[in-house]
Amino acid sequence: MLELLKNLARWLVSGSQWSGTDGIAHRLAEHFQYSILATIAAAVIALPLGLLIGHTGRGAFLAINLAGFGRALPTVGLVTLVFLVSGLSMWPVYVSLVALAVPVIVTNTYAGMAAVDPETKDAARGQGMTGMQVLWQVELPLALPLIMTGVRLAVVQVVATATIAAYVSFGGLGRYVFDGLAQRDLVQVLGGALLVALMAVALDLALGGLQKLLFRHRTA
Amino acid sequence: MNRRTLLTGLLATAAAPALTACGGITSLDNNSASGSTGAASSAGGLVIGTANFTENQILGYLYAEALRGVGVKATVKPNLGSREIVVPALKQGDIDLLPEYQGSLLLYLKPKATATDPGALQNDLAAVLPDTLEVLPYAAAEDKDVFAVTRATADKYGLASLDDLKKLDGKLVFGGPAEDKTRVVGLVGLKDVYGVSFQEFKSLDASGPLVKGALKKGQVEVANLFSTDVDIAKNDWVVLEDPQQLIPAQHVVPVIRSAKADSKVRKALARLGAALTTDELMKLDDLVDNQKKDPDRVAASWASAHALTG
Repeated sequence: MLELLKNLARWLVSGSQWSGTDGIAHRLAEHFQYSILATIAAAVIALPLGLLIGHTGRGAFLAINLAGFGRALPTVGLVTLVFLVSGLSMWPVYVSLVALAVPVIVTNTYAGMAAVDPETKDAARGQGMTGMQVLWQVELPLALPLIMTGVRLAVVQVVATATIAAYVSFGGLGRYVFDGLAQRDLVQVLGGALLVALMAVALDLALGGLQKLLFRHRTA
Repeated sequence: MNRRTLLTGLLATAAAPALTACGGITSLDNNSASGSTGAASSAGGLVIGTANFTENQILGYLYAEALRGVGVKATVKPNLGSREIVVPALKQGDIDLLPEYQGSLLLYLKPKATATDPGALQNDLAAVLPDTLEVLPYAAAEDKDVFAVTRATADKYGLASLDDLKKLDGKLVFGGPAEDKTRVVGLVGLKDVYGVSFQEFKSLDASGPLVKGALKKGQVEVANLFSTDVDIAKNDWVVLEDPQQLIPAQHVVPVIRSAKADSKVRKALARLGAALTTDELMKLDDLVDNQKKDPDRVAASWASAHALTG
C-alpha cells in the first residue's frame, strides 16, 4: 500500500509524465475542454427551459419527470448507442455529457424559481412590472443561488464522467484510467482518478468563488 | 462467492466416500484400457466448471453432453468467474473439468511463455500444469485474436496476410482494446514481427460494438477481433493470415483432474473435439449471444445432431 502511494506520487511529479500528447498537461487540457464545452451546451439548453417552466409554472410535472428519466440513463449505454449512429467522433461523448448535465440544471433552475415567494411576485406585478420584468428583475436574481448550485453540480458530474471520452478512443484523463486498467497498471489508474477528482473539486471551488464575487452585495 | 466455494466444498466432501467406495472396482475394470492413468475413474461423475463468458459456458455444457453420451455423470457449474477463479477451483478439486484455451491458459500459468504453435503449446501446458492436472487433446475449434480488414480495404491494397501490411507502414488506422497499445499480440508484435506501425491507434473495445462499428464505417482499417465472432462472416471481413505465428494458437482444450480422466472420458472428449470446428463454435456462440437461446439447450441439440449423445 505504501509502495503504491510512493509510486503514485512519483508518477504525478515526474517531468516526463507531464509532457507530450500523452502527458498530464495535455490530458488535463483535453479533459477541461470536454467538460466546459459540455456544461456550456447543457446550460444553453437547460437554463431557458428551467426559467420558462419556473416562470409560467407550466409543464413542471413533465419536465421534472423527464429530467429524472434523463438522470437514470446509463452513460456508457448512451455513448455506445450514439456511437453506432455517428461512428467515431466526439458526438457520443458530448451527447451523453450534455444528457447528464441538462436534468441537474433544469431541476435546480425550476426549484430556484419555484422557491421565490409568490407575494414578492404579486407585489412586483402590482407595481406595474411586465412579465418579463418580473422574470429578469425579481425571480431570476432571487433564484440565482439555486441555479448556480445546479450548474456547479452539473460541472462536478460532467468532469467525473468525461472519462468516457477515452472509452471511444479520445483523450482526457480517462485515458489513464482505461489504459491503466487494460495494462494492469494500478498507479496509472489511481493517478488518472485522482486528477479527475482534483479537477472536479477545483472547478466547483472556482465557481463557488465566482458566485461569491458576483453576488457579494447580497446577504441571502 | 464464499457461499459458492462452501457449496462446492460440501459437494466434494459428500462425493468423496462414494468415490473411494467404488474406485477400487472400476479401476480394476479400466486397468488394461487406461494404461498410465491407472487408478483414474469417472465413476463418481465429473463436475465441470466454466468461466464467466458465453462461449465457455456453451463448451462446459457440450462437455457434459459428451460425457453423458458415454454414461458418465456430469454436473455443470456455469459462470464461476474469470480464469483467476476457475483454475484455482480446478487445482483444489472443487471442479474436475474445465474448458480452456491453449495460449491464454499457458500465459496464465507461465507469464513469460513464448510458444504460439498448437503442438508446442500443448507440450508446454503438459509441463507446467500441476501433477494432479493434465490437458487432453485439443479441439479443432479455436477462439483467438485476429487482425481483420473489410473486403473493400483488402481489395484496394491487395491484403491477405499480415506480411502485406508492411507496404502500408504508417498509413493505416488500427482499432482494438486499450491493451493492444502495449502488448505483443497488438501493436508491439505487429511492429516487431511484421514491421508495420500505424498512422493512429484508436482505443476501442475487444471485438465489441465500438470497434466493429468503426470498422464498418471505415474509421478504423485494421481491427483486432476474435476468430469466433460471427460478424466477421456476416460482414465478409477478411482475417489477415499470420505466417510468422505472432498470435498464439487458442484451440479449445479440456483441462482435467487426472484422477477423473479414464479412457471413457478421454475418448468422449476427443470425439467432441474432432467434431467441434471454429465454424461450429461460431454458430453456437451466435445462437446464444444474438438469438438469446439457452446455452444448455443449444449444447444438447448440437450434441445430438452430431451423434455425441450415444
